[in-house]
Amino acid sequence: MTASTSRAPKAAPPVAPCFSEIDTGAELPPVELCCEQQVIDRYAVASLDMNPVHTNEEWAARAQVFGMPETVVHGMMTMSSLASVVTRSWGPVSANGGSVRFVDATFTKPVRVGETVVSTGVVKKKHYHGDGKNWVEVRVESRDTAGDVIGVANVGYNLPD
Amino acid sequence: MQVPTRLDQYIETTKQQSFEKDFHLGWEHYETWEEATVGERAPASHTFTVVAEDIVSYNRACGETDPLYTDPEYALEHSPTGEVLQHPIFATTVGFYSVGSSGIGSWMRTPGARNPGQLIEINEPFREGEVITTTVTTRQKFIQRDKHYLTMFMEFHNQDGVLKGTWDCSLILPANKALIAQFVNA
Repeated sequence: MTASTSRAPKAAPPVAPCFSEIDTGAELPPVELCCEQQVIDRYAVASLDMNPVHTNEEWAARAQVFGMPETVVHGMMTMSSLASVVTRSWGPVSANGGSVRFVDATFTKPVRVGETVVSTGVVKKKHYHGDGKNWVEVRVESRDTAGDVIGVANVGYNLPD
Repeated sequence: MQVPTRLDQYIETTKQQSFEKDFHLGWEHYETWEEATVGERAPASHTFTVVAEDIVSYNRACGETDPLYTDPEYALEHSPTGEVLQHPIFATTVGFYSVGSSGIGSWMRTPGARNPGQLIEINEPFREGEVITTTVTTRQKFIQRDKHYLTMFMEFHNQDGVLKGTWDCSLILPANKALIAQFVNA
């Protein structure tokens, strides 16, 4: 696997915090993604988003879809990295009943090949709707090597009580 | 257009083998921004039968190395669902596979498209063996700062009619075939 992560493999199923125990402002560990062309290529095949702006350097140089003569990272790959900040901590589903509700992402800058993108997240808001219906909103942002924000997302996550 | 052969080394699934990877092929039949009709609703061209290898491949492409994400046998014993954990943006694969190369939603393959942002909602993860039908509704199109935005709402139902999730898919597009041709022929 060529995409790098900030976590070592683990064997235990993920566990999410309880809604009553988590506070707004709580930070989640960062996720790092090295955007080499082979990482983009693998993502293109796995996602079936085979748009040549991501994989064909010669065409990308001529077409300059983003005003620059090179391939760029998929927005969906950035979105995946944003979501991973939450799922690497709590799981897409957790052993104690947590689960991702939604991922709402906005992309603010094309990501060049060779960039290292670091994504960080903070619990922004708690939504109390009664036992078994509570969820939190995590604000996640990704920055490129220059420190520029390249994408932001709100991730909704159902938490156990 | 030549699809780089180096991509072949990443093919891991039956769907990836058969999927048409040349997005320039048949571009004349893609729905365009000008042609899209807001409110039109129709099933996507293909159903998606969920296989573990589809999920594992997507997980690996997202950098997941934990066996809960990559090893179905390990997941059978240790995962909360008994199946490999599924990255929440896996709906991307379902969407691209399901929407065809002509008709409603085919604009998601358009050369020259740019991605401003996306919203994916998950009611419950896809399960292995489910047959997912995608229904596409053209939701919105508008021009802002000379950019042509188009949005479709994809609903993913399983074979029992259960709504598994949705994808509000938006792109900034070259508005018509003449503008798309400029990218195709670049």
